[in-house]
Amino acid sequence: MTKNNILLLVQDLNLVSSLKKENAITFLFPIKDYAIGFPKTFSIDEIKEEAFIFVNRIMDNETIASFKSFLNELPPHIKGIVFDDLGVLNILIEHPHNLTKILFLNHLNCNYESINAYLEYVDSVVVSPDLTFTEIDEILLKSHKPLVLYTFGHVNIMYSRRTLLTNYNAHFNLKVPNQATLEEEITKQKLKIIENPYGTVIYTARPFNALSLRAKPNVLYNLINTVFLTNEEVKEILTSEDNLETKYPYKYLSMKNTIVKIKEEEK
Amino acid sequence: MIELLAPAGNLERLKIAYLYGADAVYIGGYNYSLRANAINFSLAELKEAVSFAHNLQKKIYVTVNIVLHNKEIEGLVPYLQELASIGVDAVILSDIAVVKAITKNKINLEIHLSTQASTLNYEAALFYKKLGVKRIVLAREASREDIKIIKEKTSLDLEAFIQGAMCTSFSGKCVLSNVTTNRDSNRGGCAQICRWTFKINDEKNVFSMTPKDLNMSRYLEDMMNIGINSFKVEGRMRSIYYIATVVYEYRKLIDKILNSTITESDILYSNDIINRCANRESTPQFYDKLPTHNEQYYLGREEISNQDFLGLVLETIDNKTLIEERNFFKKGDEVEFFGPNIEPISYKINKIYNENMEEIEVARHPQMKVYLEVPTKLPNGSMMRLKVFDKKDYL
Repeated sequence: MTKNNILLLVQDLNLVSSLKKENAITFLFPIKDYAIGFPKTFSIDEIKEEAFIFVNRIMDNETIASFKSFLNELPPHIKGIVFDDLGVLNILIEHPHNLTKILFLNHLNCNYESINAYLEYVDSVVVSPDLTFTEIDEILLKSHKPLVLYTFGHVNIMYSRRTLLTNYNAHFNLKVPNQATLEEEITKQKLKIIENPYGTVIYTARPFNALSLRAKPNVLYNLINTVFLTNEEVKEILTSEDNLETKYPYKYLSMKNTIVKIKEEEK
Repeated sequence: MIELLAPAGNLERLKIAYLYGADAVYIGGYNYSLRANAINFSLAELKEAVSFAHNLQKKIYVTVNIVLHNKEIEGLVPYLQELASIGVDAVILSDIAVVKAITKNKINLEIHLSTQASTLNYEAALFYKKLGVKRIVLAREASREDIKIIKEKTSLDLEAFIQGAMCTSFSGKCVLSNVTTNRDSNRGGCAQICRWTFKINDEKNVFSMTPKDLNMSRYLEDMMNIGINSFKVEGRMRSIYYIATVVYEYRKLIDKILNSTITESDILYSNDIINRCANRESTPQFYDKLPTHNEQYYLGREEISNQDFLGLVLETIDNKTLIEERNFFKKGDEVEFFGPNIEPISYKINKIYNENMEEIEVARHPQMKVYLEVPTKLPNGSMMRLKVFDKKDYL
């Protein structure tokens, strides 16, 4: 099996050190003050090797202004950017950069027309992980440029500007840490929640295993998110020839179309 | 021109919204619209709605605001062309595929960017402006300062929510519903998981992220001053009573601001009326500060329903007012009428007649028709509610 290159969203510099000789891996660092939903974010000074930066905050005016300055001061070993806010896209259009530009409009890039529209402005787009594999195949077939596929990892399924854990602690006078596990009371479904001063993110409790997408055509990168994974788990995922479906069976939303109209579903 | 923009999930609600003072109404078609489980409008109903609106010289916008999947692409252009041909004034959208479908095919539709796009900074607004967007419905997370700067730097028409339910999440950035129930939040099937309750770690207190509602009645004038063009009320699933009450109160407040007669008592009174009708507590949310625990509930859904809506005025016949009953009322009750272009009228029910003009003591069956002897001729479509608040108490 010929595998595509990996975009590895990292949390641990030790992991980066141990993998930096792997040519097929591009490291993606969530950036302090501009990324959300990570136990660990990085300042630019901490990034010593060629890498991409991950910027997934929805920014207010003050933040986008400071981000503009940040972008101008990026050192040359920062080769690419993966971002969510279209304000960032506008800055990159108005002030052209040599960075590889990848748009990750979380949950919103769900069809080939939208993706091709954004590809007029960027080098690639992360296809929404909320799709079925069949939908992803059609997108790959019709995309004008190679795309990025969310291939393994816990999925960010809710992003709030509210500091939900801080608020909960304030209301009940508690000290729940800024990272916790939720269990929905009816379905008993578990979720992971994490907060920083810029808001709160909820993740799936289990990692989404889409390793079967590693050999798809028209793919620029397979994105692997290491958040909540150990370094050993990451290394196994990176090196495994099989898709590890016994160990990681969770298929997220990839196998079944979601319901849009309840009444139609009941017919 | 400041616009009061109301929601409508069907034709009856649309007509009520206009009658009670909305300048514009937004609705959804059967497809491509969030709130897929509202009744929504067929193409024939859309035509009727547009005709109704334009006869009143008012505007009508259609939501095409789902996140499209591949299979929804095929019928998109014909649908947009149909909307243009029946004369809708704008479409509210969030997916760039819809923008491109309009611009590439030169479809004559004004483009409003939905709050689903979570626009919170001027750079993002400028990107959309270049695409051909005429108006931006701001992210509900936008603060006063954000709004002011976006207006100054873009000159775009800005629309902001002033009333209604809030998402916990940035709009569009939540698929809790998809994951938990397989109902697609970004295509109209949201099951509102953020209003459910959770166990967190080993804590005894349940965790909830339920936000209180939004209510901006106190900030309308300030919002006008910083450049908001359209005040939007949330709620295409809401009842005619809710729409009538909320539109009626906000219409009064806006008009009083515009003619410089607004008083503190007007705001306090309207606030109480709106809050009671909304069933949930409400706050300005992100406008003046980052919401804290005070802007949330901690026991999941905390909705207080009431039976204030007593009846709908159908017509006046021989000095008697024909009412279609909605909730129980009886002789001796203190009630209040409010309606299109009238001030609230207090009334103590002295006699009730059934359809055979026989006097009865109570009206106990929803939809039953009864006559009251109201001394004033009320406009058709007026509503009778329990009198809970008296404007005199606010003076």
